[in-house]
Amino acid sequence: MAEEGGKPEGEGDKKVVHVYPLVKHSDMVEEMRTEAIELSITACEKYAQNYELAARTIKETMDKKFGTYWHVVVGEGFGFEVSYETKNILYLFFGGNLAIVVWKCS
Amino acid sequence: MPMKMSPDRTKRNTMQFQGKQNSQGKINASDYGTDDFESWMKSRALLKPDDQLELTEAELNEEISKVLTIQNTNVVKNLVIYSFTEGGYVPVPPVGNTVTLFNFEGTALHLESEEAQNQILEQGDESYLMEETTKSKARASIAKSGDEDDDDEEAQPEAGEAEPEEEGEVEVEPEAEPEEEEGVGEDAGEGGEGTEAGEAGEEEDEGRVAAPQPGGKKRKLINQFNYCERAALTYNNPSRSVETQTIPPPRSTYGGNVLQWVIYDSYAEDYAQQQKEKEKEKKPGAYKKEESKKKSDKNQATEELNKRYLQCWQILERMINQNIYDDIAQDYRYWEDPSDEFREEEGTLLPLWKFSYEKTKKMTVTDICFNTLYYDLFAVCFGSFDFMKQFAEGAVCLFTIKNPSFPDYRITCESGVMCCDIHPKYPFLLAIGLYDGNVAVYNLQIGCKDPIYMSQGVNGKHAEFVSEIKWGPDLQDGEINFYSISGDGKVFNWVLMQNKLSITTIITLFLEQDMIRGPDGTEIKLKGCGSCMTFHPTNREIFLVGTEEGFIYKCSTAYSSKYLMTYPAHYLSVYRIDFNKFNSNIFASCSGDWRVKVWEDMRSDPLFIFDLGSRVGDVKWAPYSSTVLAAVTSDGKVFVFDLNVNKYKAICVQAVVSRRKNQLTRLAFNDKLPFIIVGDDKGTTTSLKLSPNLRLRVKPPKKQQNIDQNVLQVQKLEKLLSLVRELPEGKNDNDTATTVGS
Repeated sequence: MAEEGGKPEGEGDKKVVHVYPLVKHSDMVEEMRTEAIELSITACEKYAQNYELAARTIKETMDKKFGTYWHVVVGEGFGFEVSYETKNILYLFFGGNLAIVVWKCS
Repeated sequence: MPMKMSPDRTKRNTMQFQGKQNSQGKINASDYGTDDFESWMKSRALLKPDDQLELTEAELNEEISKVLTIQNTNVVKNLVIYSFTEGGYVPVPPVGNTVTLFNFEGTALHLESEEAQNQILEQGDESYLMEETTKSKARASIAKSGDEDDDDEEAQPEAGEAEPEEEGEVEVEPEAEPEEEEGVGEDAGEGGEGTEAGEAGEEEDEGRVAAPQPGGKKRKLINQFNYCERAALTYNNPSRSVETQTIPPPRSTYGGNVLQWVIYDSYAEDYAQQQKEKEKEKKPGAYKKEESKKKSDKNQATEELNKRYLQCWQILERMINQNIYDDIAQDYRYWEDPSDEFREEEGTLLPLWKFSYEKTKKMTVTDICFNTLYYDLFAVCFGSFDFMKQFAEGAVCLFTIKNPSFPDYRITCESGVMCCDIHPKYPFLLAIGLYDGNVAVYNLQIGCKDPIYMSQGVNGKHAEFVSEIKWGPDLQDGEINFYSISGDGKVFNWVLMQNKLSITTIITLFLEQDMIRGPDGTEIKLKGCGSCMTFHPTNREIFLVGTEEGFIYKCSTAYSSKYLMTYPAHYLSVYRIDFNKFNSNIFASCSGDWRVKVWEDMRSDPLFIFDLGSRVGDVKWAPYSSTVLAAVTSDGKVFVFDLNVNKYKAICVQAVVSRRKNQLTRLAFNDKLPFIIVGDDKGTTTSLKLSPNLRLRVKPPKKQQNIDQNVLQVQKLEKLLSLVRELPEGKNDNDTATTVGS
């Protein structure tokens, strides 16, 4: 893995794998974004071993909170090209190796 | 449709495998003889399906008979069902052969049915019933005879029910219809009948129409259970579909690739950014400066570039204008009215450029002021003097004579602009007074959009329109300040502080009369209504104030409660006062009472009185001569006086604008060039060149050739004044004005 490869050659402080949530892209309003991030983190921490379940949890909660239909991808490696309702996408890195894409499209 | 087939009608069909021949064809063949048939057969190549059975001749000739029976062979006959009550199997009653395809319950009654009979009986019209029955019987027999050719079963009018059988239809319908139609309306019934029914129908029709007549009553045979009067039927709105479609929420697309190294890189980048920000926070001041510097540098660069472009465009515009108005420019520079040489005491005005701005075309020119440094530049204020006709906004336009087509600077205000003044020392500072009592200061170097100073608050402004505004000399510590006078009778001094205007009341123009009792007992001291103000050219403490009551007060900035002098100058509002440019003791005033008066300081009687025949909007002394003054009137004329030439008459009277449509309001002399500008109430400013006779210079006496022109001018005026002063006092008192108006 890249980060493992990066560790030995980096300096001491760079060896630390960052696990904080990093929003790569989002056009959500502030309120929704914070909620979605929090939700994603909770789900991914809860189901650290089962990404499918994590994704399902996020999706269902988002559906309830912000209306249908939300789509969630949780994974370590994938490509995506989605069309979504503007102001309803969140592309988040978390835990150093996890990417979460949440978008709404009904 | 019930299958009714009597056994004698059963036919035996011979099935022919060979061709498409039907039974009809076979009969034909046998009739015409075999030869014909053979030849006909041969001429046709018969198509055979591939999987057709090959049969021998014997097999082909074998006759297979098929019988059509009235029994449905598929129906199970011995159907039983277990009955618990009887404790054994019970045969189920056989299912009928009838299949109902269509069932329609009519609302009509058969005339001969029991119910119809009862109804007729109830209504007690038996004769009608009798007639009716005989008619129908006769008809029935006719129908029978007509239909006898066909099968027996079909001719059964007694069946009564509207069975849609082929032949029966003809029979039954005419019977059923008349009743139905009659219930609804006789006319319609007859129409329908005529077309549909045959002979029988027509015949019956006659009987029907005739029938009710003997009774004299209209009969209605109706089914009481489901009959509905036509009148009671309401209109059923047809169902219709209306569709709307909302705009779908906007969509966007986003895509990306998630790889472990992408995630790692993003984290690394973000982390680096965070570290940087932390560093910045440690020395925020330094960084901010750097950033702002960068930004301002960039802005400055683009701004400078824009400015340069603008300058180029301005030059180009001026060049174009010069070319367009080339003849005017030539006149302005070189044309000196040659007839002046022959006219001793008269001069003319040559109209040059006209200045107007599209957006202020309907407004009145309320003030005109030349710039002190750039003598080709002048400010024109647009507003309205009319209380009833105020505009939603006002404007100040700074025109240059180099570009008559468009103002160089434009300032728009929320209220009509009543006056303006350009600072003599800082020619970029423009103070304006508004109709709503506010004053504002613009720095033309910075821009025309927002004032650098603006009066604020109810107490920080005049209560009425600002009638004149004048820059004052700088204060002791160099603060720039200006004075304003307003219709509320107050003179304010405004000092331009660091970030605001500080306001001081210089004088309140109380009328010199006792308090007046109000209706509720309060005593009010009446205030004068300031209409103009001008400063003494040499002693800047002294200023003159004109009021709408017609007084001119000489005041000082040092005393706020006392007038140094009161001149009972006019009968109507004093519009403008102007000091002589060479002798500061002499000033001229003009008024709505048609008069221009020339005064000497501390002398309550005017030296000269001129009656111009209509309201005099403005009067100004010429900057080049001590005895020349010009005035504009509301009937569109410009008057130029040279007191040295003629003490009683204007040496030039010229209508500049159309007398009916326009009024002239303001006038200004150019300090350096021999022309004046006049403003009218249609937003137009006209420049006029003074002909040589209007700007005569004093010829120095032969002995003293080197005497300065200024001194000569002063001498000239002194000489004139000494003449006037010698006049007996009484002459001026009786106010016999010299009427100049034509």
